[in-house]
Amino acid sequence: MSKKAIQWLYGELPRLVAQGILTPDTDAKLRAHYGPMEPARPARLAVIIFGVLGALLIGAGLILVLAHNWDELSRPVRAGLSFLPLVLAQGLAAWVMFNRPQSLAWREGVGGLLFLMIGASISLVAQTYNISGDLPRFILTWSLLGLPLIYLLNAVVPALLYLWGITEWACHIRWDDGWAGAYWLLAALLLPLIVSWLRADRFQPRLTLLFWALCVSVTVAAGVTIERVLPGLWIMLYAGLFALMFLAGEFWFSAAEGFWSRPLRHFGAAGVLVLTFLFTFEWPWKEIGWHYWYWDRFQKAGWHAITDGVLGSVVPIAALLLLVMTIRRKTPLGLLFGLAPILATAGYSLCSLSETYAPAAGLFDLYLLVMGLWLLVTGIRLGRQGQMNVGLLAITALIIARFFDTDLSFLLRGLIFIALGVAFLVANIVMLRRKGAKHEQA
Amino acid sequence: MNKRNFLLLGFAVVVAAQLAVPAWLIIEREWTLREGQVFKFKTRPIDPADAFRGRYVWLGLEPDKVKMPNAQQWLYNQKAFAVLGTDSNGFAVATRLERERPRGEAAVPVRTRWSDTNGHVHISWPGLDRYYMTEKKAPAAETAYREHNRGTNRSCHVTVRVLGARAVLENLFIEEQPILDWLKAGQ
Repeated sequence: MSKKAIQWLYGELPRLVAQGILTPDTDAKLRAHYGPMEPARPARLAVIIFGVLGALLIGAGLILVLAHNWDELSRPVRAGLSFLPLVLAQGLAAWVMFNRPQSLAWREGVGGLLFLMIGASISLVAQTYNISGDLPRFILTWSLLGLPLIYLLNAVVPALLYLWGITEWACHIRWDDGWAGAYWLLAALLLPLIVSWLRADRFQPRLTLLFWALCVSVTVAAGVTIERVLPGLWIMLYAGLFALMFLAGEFWFSAAEGFWSRPLRHFGAAGVLVLTFLFTFEWPWKEIGWHYWYWDRFQKAGWHAITDGVLGSVVPIAALLLLVMTIRRKTPLGLLFGLAPILATAGYSLCSLSETYAPAAGLFDLYLLVMGLWLLVTGIRLGRQGQMNVGLLAITALIIARFFDTDLSFLLRGLIFIALGVAFLVANIVMLRRKGAKHEQA
Repeated sequence: MNKRNFLLLGFAVVVAAQLAVPAWLIIEREWTLREGQVFKFKTRPIDPADAFRGRYVWLGLEPDKVKMPNAQQWLYNQKAFAVLGTDSNGFAVATRLERERPRGEAAVPVRTRWSDTNGHVHISWPGLDRYYMTEKKAPAAETAYREHNRGTNRSCHVTVRVLGARAVLENLFIEEQPILDWLKAGQ
């Protein structure tokens, strides 16, 4: 049973005993069965959040004060001062590590501060010596110097900053027409942290936060690390990636409650829906497949295509394996979203072989419609308003998109829009009433 | 080794690495500024509206192209080394481009742009394109520069110290005066 449910139960127990529904003996047995409940400590969370915010603000302030390029000071003095924020933050980090190792607020705060001060210190030196240099190299150096803080302080804030750093680096490298495949090795350096946190408590909020950041980072990185030697590879890669996220969320984190505590499931589901919507158009299916293979790119740096091969195969295959495991568990939603990479591969093969785009786009029209209807119907049946609205939204998006492809009269378009609006309103009102009725009954 | 000592050792190594990077940047630049050969680079006429932006001045160094016998073989955005020489007026010229760093000659890393039909490879100087100033002085400089130079042909140059393949921007001159002196004189 989840912590929230136990907390609710413990809140109810005294009343139930007072009303004679439960005996004190049963009460004691129930408490013994579910174990002691850690009291919710909102104050502690507030201390952590404000601690981190405070540290980041102080860090940013120090950067701004020192970024003020004092012409009056001599160059060696400015160079020496460049170390000041770094040394101060290092001193504070040492104090926290050995005197406040138990305090999450201190560890997170000082981790964020020191991470920022590494960048500040290098920037100040760069400013003193007019080094305009190489932005990606600067970001990479900064991120790698900050990486050990994640493990030394066992903190998530430096991990988030590190993820930002390596993602930014990959984007810059891609922008300069370089190979950003090393992103995956850099991201893998976070694996020991993730594994140890998964073992300790896979529902802990810090891990959830890291997963949200990872979802965003990996989604960006998948796009900038494929070399586009094989046009259209992104179709299968992204379908596999989002399905993998969704299925992993369903498979290992289904006990988590609430929207924000299920990053993999919700990010993956949003990804699959948006991707499916894009695939209902014909443009993603044009000029893809072996016929359009970029020989010149392949010849220029063939080994760059290794990332394509690895990502393009490992991600969809992993998604398929999870799908098989999901089928055994008989979760229909998992089956539905897990189909995305199979359909994407089918559409891709169809377009590469036949050079017609309509069947692939049509396939995804149907897929989006089925997903939308399923979410709508199950949402209504299970009383999940969010799920119902996502289903309605998917269907609406599909109908609007197909509108612009066809020459329907304004009158007909207007009527369909009105009908969709009414459907939204009615469904939500009915759902709210039903919830209200249930609440009153309870 | 117990956990505390292990942590202490790890932290010491990390701290040393974090300090070493800025320290090395400083040492390398100071060494170049002390031992390097001075080159004067003209800067291209800068659009006054764009000359001083934020906390630094964008510089467009000249020469911005190099005559090469095989100009067409240089592709866009390739790394190269511009071997430096000096013209009769004492300004820097790029005598040729090399793909590898030439030994025993002053050469600065550049990026190739495009090659034209006259056999020139156009280049940019990515490490030498900013001169930092305070956020107060940069806008003041912009105004002064604009008023002072309306319709006149201003002369601007920078001094760069070069040691091997390491180049460090030393100073920015307007009409033969260091920029800070020129600004003071203009106020």
